Amino acid sequence: MAQVKISRILSKSDVVSCIYDVINSLRLSLRIEDADNKVLIGSNDINPSSSFPVKCGNEVIGWVRGDEGSSLVASFLNILTNAEFEKKVLAHEALNKYKELTMLYNFTEKIATCRSKKEVGQLVIEEARKFIKGDNVSIMLIDDESQTMGIIVASGSEVYPKIMLKAGEGIAGSVMISGRAQIINDVGSDPRYKEGKNKVSSLMCAPLKINDRVLGVINISSEEPYQYSSMDLKLFSALALQTAVSIENAIFFENLRETFITTIQTLAETVEKRDRYTGGHITRVMNYSTLIGQELGFSDEEMQRLVFAAILHDIGKIGIRDMVLLKAGKLTDEEYAEIKKHPVYGEEILKPIKQLRNIIPGVKQHHERFDGSGYPEGLKKDDIDMIARIISVADTFDAMTTNRPYGYCKTFDETFKELAKNVGTQLDPDVVAAFLRVYEKNKTLSLGV
Amino acid sequence: MPRILIVDDEPHIRLLLEQTMEELEDEGVELLTAGNGIDAMNIIQEKKPELIFVDVMMPGMSGFEVCSKVKHELGMKELYMIMLTAKGQEVDREQGMKCGADIYMTKPFNPDEVLKKAREVLGLA
Repeated sequence: MAQVKISRILSKSDVVSCIYDVINSLRLSLRIEDADNKVLIGSNDINPSSSFPVKCGNEVIGWVRGDEGSSLVASFLNILTNAEFEKKVLAHEALNKYKELTMLYNFTEKIATCRSKKEVGQLVIEEARKFIKGDNVSIMLIDDESQTMGIIVASGSEVYPKIMLKAGEGIAGSVMISGRAQIINDVGSDPRYKEGKNKVSSLMCAPLKINDRVLGVINISSEEPYQYSSMDLKLFSALALQTAVSIENAIFFENLRETFITTIQTLAETVEKRDRYTGGHITRVMNYSTLIGQELGFSDEEMQRLVFAAILHDIGKIGIRDMVLLKAGKLTDEEYAEIKKHPVYGEEILKPIKQLRNIIPGVKQHHERFDGSGYPEGLKKDDIDMIARIISVADTFDAMTTNRPYGYCKTFDETFKELAKNVGTQLDPDVVAAFLRVYEKNKTLSLGV
Repeated sequence: MPRILIVDDEPHIRLLLEQTMEELEDEGVELLTAGNGIDAMNIIQEKKPELIFVDVMMPGMSGFEVCSKVKHELGMKELYMIMLTAKGQEVDREQGMKCGADIYMTKPFNPDEVLKKAREVLGLA
């Protein structure tokens, strides 16, 4: 805690004029010095008979030197100093609370934008140590089926999924059961403690609670012994409360998203099942498109659009008659004209689905050709949606590598040579180049390599 | 000696800002405070501070007026003015910029940010 400086007290003009009034009316002869004997008021010329200290607590912060009457000025300064000190202590305390409030406020604002459990967890880990002293933070969630708790995110060397605790097991497990936050300042002497990878001397563990349901726990620990206080626990519990709400929201959001994706996939596969030649086509086009998108540095948002468009690119085929779609021999002009309607049918099917409106260009334009000779609109080059250009490459590549009535089964190396022939006319050179780079880097086109 | 002036009609905000920048006093910075625009103008002319934190909403003379007088009437262009405004009144931003404010900060302010900015403006490491 910073001490009060006498110079600070004497910087106030009303104080100074008050002191001069006293000096003049009582005809005092004195000088005021700081702790380093620097004269602040009066002069060195006088020869003081007495010296009176100005103290802040036990520390001397200055001197009033002069005749006997100077004690009056010293008393006055002592009172002011103590008042200033008290004000400072309160201000210090108030500022700490204000800082906590600002941090909680920022935290609430940031956490509201998190859409996944991981994101929530990472933010909490980052922010928790700004509020509370600690070296490591971890979040454990309970799995409803197995009734075990696992770490979803952690700082330090404890990483998913190293520790699995049964509810009730360990300190975290007991907090999970009781639903009450705990401080354990001497972890070593707690029989419940289960050693992990991190060095832990003191810790706090708070439940992630929504009403009476406990989703898991959050831990913060210090490697060196530390005395966590009830104030720390209160703050930590507030943090846990926010975290719990956000994690639950994230779970809802993730479930909703999963349901949405599954529905789309099922829809696409339903269409695929009609066509005996295209088994697994959607999955492969989706994988190839993903690889290309990654290579081109797509953002998460673009990636998602690309994946959805890849899954649904042929959804319009549901509107093509079996005798045309499944015809083994050569198509008549009329039949071919019917096939060519599927991108537009796709657009019509997707239009009413708000969440999928932004993938329509990708679906509708996947048969456009780079030189403008494609369908349905004969768009050229950059006028064709980037996602459609990618799907077009992935789609063509898959047609060449699988056995279809109008294609041949080739090796990847041969297919890339074949693809090169269509660059600039049918396909976007940049997209083909990106696809080739991926292949040359990994010598495989499986995802996750 | 570099000087910082804090102008706010709310005593607790003055106190919090003072406390936030307390450590600068050890580096020779003088912290001055004023509870209204008129006192602020007197201090500005007398002490010529380098940096001012001024609240927008004050009875009598508003932060805008203080800012405008300093920058336009007194021509103290190099005096760095930070406007403090309550969260949600960001529409005032434009008006503040017209008055010549250098930057805006919203209340509740972030103490770390305030200290960092003060150090930056005064050229302290």
